[in-house]
Amino acid sequence: MSTKISKVIDPVTMQVVLGALENAAIEMGHKLARMSYSSIIRESEDFGCALVDIKGRQLCESTHSTPLQSGPIPGYVKGIRQVMEERGDQFEPGDVILHNSTYHGASHGPDFGLCIPVFYEKSLIGFSVTTAHHLDVGASTPGSCGIVDAVDAYAEGLQFKAIKVYEKGKKNTFVWNILEDNIRSSDLVVGDIGAQIAAARIGVERYLEIINKYGLETVEATAEGLTNYSEKMMRNAINKLPDGEYYAEGLMDGYLDSDDPTKKDLKIAVTLKVQGDQLVVDLTGTSRQIDDKPINMPLEGTVDIAIYLTLRSILLDSEDYGNFPQNTGLTRPITIIAPEGTLCNPIFPAPTIARFCQGNVVADTLMRALAEVVPKQVSAGVGNLKVLAMSGKKGKDYWVYMDIMEGSYGGRYGKDGMDSVDTLYANTRNNPIEDIESHYPLRVTKYELRNHDCAPGKWRGGIGSIREITFLENGSFSLEGDGHKYEPWGFADGKDGKVGDLSIRYPDGTEKKLPSKISNTTVQSGSSLKMTGPCGGGYGNPLERSPQAVYEDYLDDYILIEQVKEEYGVVITEEGTLDLNETDKLRKSLSRLY
Amino acid sequence: MKLFGVDVGGTFTDVFYNDTEKQHTFIHKLPTTLADPAIGVIKGMIELSEMNGVAVHEIDHIFHGTTIGTNAILEFDGAKTGMITTKGYKDILHIGRHQRPQNYSIMQDIPWQHRPLVQRRNRKTVSERMGPAKGEIIEPLNEEEVIAAIHELKELGVESIIVGFLFSYINPEHEERVVELIKEEYPEAFITTSSGVSPQFREFERFTTASLNGFIGPKVKGYIDNLSSGLKEASITADLHIMCSNGGVATPENIAEKPVNTLLSGPAAGILGGAYAGVLSDRKKLITFDVGGTSADIGIVTEQGFGEASARDTWIAGYPVMVPMIDIHTIGAGGGSIAYIDEGGLFKVGPKSAGSVPGPACYGHGGTLPTISDANVVLGRLDQENFLGGEMKLHVEAAHKVIAELAEKLEMTKEETAEGILTILNNNMANAIREKTIQKGADPREFSLVAFGGAGPLHAIDVARELKIPEIIIPAYPGINSATGLLTTDLKYDVIKTEFMLSDSLNLSILNKDFQSLEEGLKKQLLKDLVEEENISMQRFVECRYIGQGYELRVPFPSEELTNHNIIDCFNLFHEIHKNEYGHSFESTPIEIVNIRVVGTGKMPKLRKEKVNGSSDLGAAIVKKEHVLFRHKGELQKMETLHYQRELLPAGKWLEGPAIILQKDTTTVIPPGNQFVVEEYGNLIIKVGEQS
Repeated sequence: MSTKISKVIDPVTMQVVLGALENAAIEMGHKLARMSYSSIIRESEDFGCALVDIKGRQLCESTHSTPLQSGPIPGYVKGIRQVMEERGDQFEPGDVILHNSTYHGASHGPDFGLCIPVFYEKSLIGFSVTTAHHLDVGASTPGSCGIVDAVDAYAEGLQFKAIKVYEKGKKNTFVWNILEDNIRSSDLVVGDIGAQIAAARIGVERYLEIINKYGLETVEATAEGLTNYSEKMMRNAINKLPDGEYYAEGLMDGYLDSDDPTKKDLKIAVTLKVQGDQLVVDLTGTSRQIDDKPINMPLEGTVDIAIYLTLRSILLDSEDYGNFPQNTGLTRPITIIAPEGTLCNPIFPAPTIARFCQGNVVADTLMRALAEVVPKQVSAGVGNLKVLAMSGKKGKDYWVYMDIMEGSYGGRYGKDGMDSVDTLYANTRNNPIEDIESHYPLRVTKYELRNHDCAPGKWRGGIGSIREITFLENGSFSLEGDGHKYEPWGFADGKDGKVGDLSIRYPDGTEKKLPSKISNTTVQSGSSLKMTGPCGGGYGNPLERSPQAVYEDYLDDYILIEQVKEEYGVVITEEGTLDLNETDKLRKSLSRLY
Repeated sequence: MKLFGVDVGGTFTDVFYNDTEKQHTFIHKLPTTLADPAIGVIKGMIELSEMNGVAVHEIDHIFHGTTIGTNAILEFDGAKTGMITTKGYKDILHIGRHQRPQNYSIMQDIPWQHRPLVQRRNRKTVSERMGPAKGEIIEPLNEEEVIAAIHELKELGVESIIVGFLFSYINPEHEERVVELIKEEYPEAFITTSSGVSPQFREFERFTTASLNGFIGPKVKGYIDNLSSGLKEASITADLHIMCSNGGVATPENIAEKPVNTLLSGPAAGILGGAYAGVLSDRKKLITFDVGGTSADIGIVTEQGFGEASARDTWIAGYPVMVPMIDIHTIGAGGGSIAYIDEGGLFKVGPKSAGSVPGPACYGHGGTLPTISDANVVLGRLDQENFLGGEMKLHVEAAHKVIAELAEKLEMTKEETAEGILTILNNNMANAIREKTIQKGADPREFSLVAFGGAGPLHAIDVARELKIPEIIIPAYPGINSATGLLTTDLKYDVIKTEFMLSDSLNLSILNKDFQSLEEGLKKQLLKDLVEEENISMQRFVECRYIGQGYELRVPFPSEELTNHNIIDCFNLFHEIHKNEYGHSFESTPIEIVNIRVVGTGKMPKLRKEKVNGSSDLGAAIVKKEHVLFRHKGELQKMETLHYQRELLPAGKWLEGPAIILQKDTTTVIPPGNQFVVEEYGNLIIKVGEQS
């Protein structure tokens, strides 16, 4: 069988050009992370970088960034080109284009794309793009997360539809003035945009060097080859799955404190249709869009990324397959059906800025549908994230700080769930406590794993954490989260996980439980927010868990002695040692009860 | 002075001897004694001494590179370690930065959760808390809880305890008090404080660094004790110094306390060896290129010295390590790297390696996968009879067979396939060098490539051509370059203090005072190590960033008192460094000082250079003439190629490629279009020509 994936260039050249392209993207990412100002980019790494060719194919992406940022870049480019064409506008050498329109490829409003068209011998041959999450986009309340009450796309802050911030190399000062005047903490935001442009320019430079060295045709042929390659990998993976239809649904909190039943207990429905080497992900059955709340998800930029990324992570897990190019080839065998007017394909001007947590439920539900098909490659239910935005006055301006609270994974075949990590399509980093307290009037008063809450299973679910943050000055906060009502699913006789939680303790000591979405709320100095991350679901029958592993969990205070016995049927003697004989007996009697 | 450098690797222990007065150099290689490497170290010195008539009791200094600590981490075989930390923050070590190492993986393991250096049951919390302003005490240390925690840890059989509190990098008072209490309550325990090993902000990274130290501490300390007593028994009274990752050496006492400083000492010594080769040829800008069986280590040396890794960029076995280290870029590319076609049809080389067992097919130990070495055999570049000085006969047919199998799948000829394998590998290596040069504003055309390790000289010219590096230096003993490097080091200590301060609201008197007190501490340490005062020098650095950024850059500061005048030069230098590093500077943005840092150096006696003899007759150096495959005039063709014996090449005589230069520890491949010469101090210099 021929293994050739390109008819034009030899496999050696292709590998060499691929290496050069990847090297360029790594450099862009490295420099962007280090040059940027706000912690959401530099510490949390909520950014992406990629080069895209004239046909819209992604050539390479920075490995050092969050998938939800790199993944949408070809969509940004497509959106920008569409807008430009509609306007009759042209790309010119020296242009730098700012774009965040969620109905034109952007992932959500705060994720600014900075796109530089690349010219070679006077023709447009591709684009160098960076995306990053910005602290503030001039919405109604401070910060760019936790804006859970915007009534439409206009209320979410400034919308940039392919705006040239540099035109033919000249700075378009009008736009910059508008930015500075309409955005809180604008010095940081403008600084970050500057860093994004600098990194995108490096991308242009490297792109051209590569073309000069290897020739445009070779680079184009490489792009074609890589796309075919990724497509082939995905088709091979799908081919291994038995044909058929697989269904799962996932439920979300929505607005738990709302009186309107259409705003809570929302559903994501996934029907997976496998036929040969093709796969259809049909989201029919998903709840209707919410016209006046911003938890709708852009189909392009959020829903599609959640789907591609989940399929890739399960079917082509990098633990087994290593890294290979993320590009449009991966998506060719996959068809997404998302009825218009649903949460997964909203109609303009439905607001979308707080789409983060819902996208992870799309990913989790898709995994649940796949669990039937490839049980050894999935985890049980994943605990969702929360994003907390905190702010306060600082002279005439604001300080704004965003904290991404982690979730946890469910148990996996042969492995326990990953504890306290960012999940599925998100992979940011937390901020060091010592960094937060050195720069904001905040104190992180607790950061620990939850005790005694992990979901039982042959392989137990991952453990969520508790993070408590206290205001040292008056300020305000808002939150977008989910997972306060529906437990992460257990799998194959594993138990369900535990929901997350949020509560506030006021300076007078009183406490109040809060829902998972809170719009901007002012608080007094001394108030504390306690975020509890959910625990992922268990995998497999807990009575089959290795007694030694149960014992170790007991020693580590992950489970109590009662849980050892009741949930796992394991006996620990009064001296604190493991009794295998008694365990055997207890397990036999317990399994009779089932 | 009589100096020994002893470098212990996974397979061999290399011994290098130099008499600085007589200008004698002797080398010796013996198998590493894995169960207790100290035995091989001592044996190696004794054997070399006996063979060359050196009296062991006359030896003045021993410089030693060890991988005991590194191996303990790679094999996850260290001490049972406990931790005492702040109440409410028990799981910083477990949660980490809440980021998964891989973006696209469900089945991955998270190193610090999968292989915890300190198990949760052994992490005890106590009441105490400091704040960010000046390490102010928000909650005092509860000593009763500390004592209870120590007793619990003792009960649990913990042999090593780390102490990690928030903000201890500003105020170590609480950590130090806990140390006193441990010494009272459990004096046998090995103790590490987070502020002691790495007084820098970022608690997960600092605590992990402390945990690594605690985890390997008892083992490294035991090794050093063994070695010291073994030396005494063998009547070797020389001073012992141990190589550190920062490119300096430290005393055994210091290493027994902070073994975490040795984690990258092997490759660090290699870079020093490379730098020494540069000295012998009077070259100041070097790219060191150390290629072994599984990996390639790349380092940069300039007039300013070695590049140093940013505190955020060093990892070992997936754990972050925040201690001063030479910037070494390691990639999975070496002689054993496997070539394969993956499921989607891409032709890839490495990072998987056949290792030494089974090794490349041509070793004849049962390897069935095509590797770099096999490709070199097919092209005739590795000689069947002269590999490892003829000690191992290569299985040429096996190499041809595995490459032919791959060639069939690729629909290419066997020879093209072999060349393709090398091209892919060489490009991977060139990309790694590019990251450390072009991407940081350095032009490779101004550098020399110093190639060593078993496979470095095989690939150097192709890599150099890729990056337009004009010249290559191959040291006299490419296979024991780390042992050579050991004899070029100084005693070197790094101290650091976090000091958040803004360029528009500086307090120079605090800076001056703190610099002074860091220097006084260092001086005390160096005097204690018996360094003469005139041999002590200090270098000041400040790590800073634009306000709001999260990554610092290191700026050298003047040794005199800081004034409103000279500080401006320092900040201008920062703008310049930022521009070189990232291609951009933000000159109107205030600069934030994060850490101040002093490197104290105590000069040590060094290797003295020595002229090589060689032969006066070129004919004597010629071993044979054989066909080797090179790309010439656009075609891969068989070319008649002279094979020379390195040691017999006459010094100063320029020769032309194609040529193969044989020596026991490596083979140097010189394609057509390149010229080479052996210099009087033993370096082989290659002038890299254009691809002909």
